[in-house]
Amino acid sequence: MSEILEDGALGRAVPFTGNAEDAVSGPHSDPGGTSSAIVDLTDITYTYEGETSPVINGVSLRVEPGEFVLILGPSGCGKSTLLNVLNGTIPHTLRGELGGHAVVCGKSVPDTKVTNFATEVGMVFQDPEAQIINTRVRDEVCFGLENLCRPADEIMARQAEALAYVGLPDAGDLSIFDMSGGQKQRVSIAAVLAARPRLLVLDEPTANLDPAGMAEVFAVLHRLNREFGTTIIMVEHRVDELADRVTRVIMMDRGEVVFDGKPRAAFARRREGHSEEAETIATSAWFPQVSEFALELATAAGIAVAPDVMPLNVTEAVAFAEGVMARGLVQATAKPAAPESAAPGEKLLSIRDLTFGYTRERPILKNVSLELETRSIVALLGQNGSGKTTLARALIGINPVERGTVYLGDRDISDLGPREISAEIGYVFQNPDHQFVTDQIDEEVAYGLKVRGYAEDFIARRVDEVLDIVDLARYRHRSPFNLSLGERRRLSVATMLVLEPRLLVLDEPTIGQDHERAQHLMRLMDRLRERYGTTILMITHDVRLVAEWADRAIALRGGGIAFDGKPEALFAQADLLKESALLPPPIFEVSKALAKTHPDRIAGPTLSIPDLIRSMIA
Amino acid sequence: MSRSTVFQFRARDSIFHRADPLTKFAWMLTVSLLAFGAYIAWIQIAITVMVLATALILARITVREILQGTWPFLFACTSFFVIQTLTLPGTTEIFRILGKPIYVESADYALASALRIYTIILASLVFVRSTDPRELAIALVTQMKIPYRIAYAFFIALRIIPTIEEEIKIIRSAQAVRGVVRQRGMTGRIREAKRYAMPLLVGALRRASTMVMSMEARGFGAYPQRTFVEAPHMGFGAQVACGAMLLAVVGWYTALAVGVVHSFYVFAP
Repeated sequence: MSEILEDGALGRAVPFTGNAEDAVSGPHSDPGGTSSAIVDLTDITYTYEGETSPVINGVSLRVEPGEFVLILGPSGCGKSTLLNVLNGTIPHTLRGELGGHAVVCGKSVPDTKVTNFATEVGMVFQDPEAQIINTRVRDEVCFGLENLCRPADEIMARQAEALAYVGLPDAGDLSIFDMSGGQKQRVSIAAVLAARPRLLVLDEPTANLDPAGMAEVFAVLHRLNREFGTTIIMVEHRVDELADRVTRVIMMDRGEVVFDGKPRAAFARRREGHSEEAETIATSAWFPQVSEFALELATAAGIAVAPDVMPLNVTEAVAFAEGVMARGLVQATAKPAAPESAAPGEKLLSIRDLTFGYTRERPILKNVSLELETRSIVALLGQNGSGKTTLARALIGINPVERGTVYLGDRDISDLGPREISAEIGYVFQNPDHQFVTDQIDEEVAYGLKVRGYAEDFIARRVDEVLDIVDLARYRHRSPFNLSLGERRRLSVATMLVLEPRLLVLDEPTIGQDHERAQHLMRLMDRLRERYGTTILMITHDVRLVAEWADRAIALRGGGIAFDGKPEALFAQADLLKESALLPPPIFEVSKALAKTHPDRIAGPTLSIPDLIRSMIA
Repeated sequence: MSRSTVFQFRARDSIFHRADPLTKFAWMLTVSLLAFGAYIAWIQIAITVMVLATALILARITVREILQGTWPFLFACTSFFVIQTLTLPGTTEIFRILGKPIYVESADYALASALRIYTIILASLVFVRSTDPRELAIALVTQMKIPYRIAYAFFIALRIIPTIEEEIKIIRSAQAVRGVVRQRGMTGRIREAKRYAMPLLVGALRRASTMVMSMEARGFGAYPQRTFVEAPHMGFGAQVACGAMLLAVVGWYTALAVGVVHSFYVFAP
């Protein structure tokens, strides 16, 4: 291992790819060097303590140095559990029954303590708030090396190089609490990089980040892998920005590896997987949008896509489409056309010059004015900290507003009590657990009606109806906390739905959920809109969700409205997107590029794959 | 989105922020011990003024921040003062309210009692706002020779308090949306706490589990000792200050014991 800071050139000379001599010597190393693999798992089975069924079952995996591995699969398929085996958290911290043969960085996992993997395996978790120990950036980055008793001057040099590497060279003295989500996650990466691990393991590191934060993190990982050959194994749902950066994709389902190969091959064929609730789902639910487009286009053209030409980014998708167009399309796309957006309804809510802040000196919302109509799906977008949640909470009275600023129909919201507001406006919090107030699912749904004094037989009828809508009737006597995350979120929606609100606010409905679960939730929202004329206001960073479901997009920037209109119009404004830390969905970029070269066939950018293919056929 | 918690460390450039954590801890302890010993209003006023001056000048905490952090206690102490003044017996009457006599002795004792509580709260606020919990934990290890695992447990407990406070606020808001009305009285508060407990516990366990995994993965506990870069150091001046504080406490309790502290009544007519 070469020394750091060669010629003072931080970026050039920093090797983050292994540290054999610095490693805390494990008692069970594999010095024979029979295996060059960083990870060598054979027939791994793991059952959590107190459980009877294994979470991972017969998984074999061999990862060579320099690979960038993306693990995909539905929630509950065992992805995170597998990651926890890689540094010995399983079986040493999370106890249970581990079977098979697991060797990581030459050390036998069952025989090596977690702390002895500290210089070999760097772990980055989903929630930066939960994994960060210290309050100051420098202290956090020094933490690991201090634990390993490295000399102070070496620690200071290494923390400086790690911070420089993640693009935060001057952030050492900053308070972590004052940083954005993307910056916090970069600090977390720097904190493990300082120990120069050979293997970097990340569990959905961008789940809580806005698109700009996500791009920052992916850029750092890409550079680590390409320039320094750091081996990376990562679980992540946001594949659009990752597909062309990883070298290998592993798909898991019900604890087993169902695909292991190159990214192009991974996304060249649709397979089936199973959700945590045992429903069958298509693995294409977590394909990159450009690959989905290529598959749809190939179907429409009546051709098969060879795995080696499956596009993984916008440029490749455009080239692929050009090639197919040159051969001529022979049949219409199998997917039905997306329904036209429903006609706007009547006036529901008005906001007039709303300014709000927790202190007078620092207003978070500045002169916000907007109108919401019934029967629409509205996306509220913007950078972390732009005021989205603050605005949504002002609508339900959590953030008190001045008289004359928010009207529900013709009534000033400041004249209404919490129960009157919540009868008309529902709010599904990011973490559904926060909203549960009883010990049983049917009681949970009934609660809102009970506190409003409805008759018992009416409540019973309504609860049955709503539990059917959200498909939870079979669990009605269970505790809410015994459900899966997707089910808990549906229950949270049900508790609001039972009151038939005219407006339902969803706070980050896709965080911690795979694409299929998010789609499931949005299908439910669409049914609500159709059935009750409910307006859905969703706070989200997920531009694909916006593109697929929203009738209208509102972008906040610095507490003011930077955009209010059709999603297509929003994604056409490159400067605005950049300033609001948003990225357009890949299909928009593909259609934009194709419209430039084929203005006769493609009128302009679109947000829908079927729409684009239809216009190509026409 | 969230309001920052008032009882939480905030980095700032002040004499008190720069002081080493153990000296500040000794200051807080001294203030508390001095305040505990005195049932005499003028002495409590002097101590309160001293603590207030420390907060405003040495720790650069604003009046607004002090009020934000201590208003519930200020309200409680004022109520305490009024109730005691009205109910405690005395001999020297100052004036009457609705025919009820108000005595010098009771007013003086009530003021001393109320200020004693408020002073200790204020000193705690100054200490918490100006002391990085991590520095305190390191000082406990490097200067007090406490095992680092114990010191870090203490540090993480302090570090997590604002997060839990924030989560309680979110749960309260989330449940208000369900139509849950804030409960009054002891039974109501217990029922409310029960409703918060489950989501709070689930969240806390999840976070604690991630924190433990994150710490172990970075070698925490690998060795009996660990390196501390930038460990706080108690300089000569701080040592002298600590000595002076010790003398002040010993002198104060000795003076009280031998009865050389004489009183005059603040509310004397």
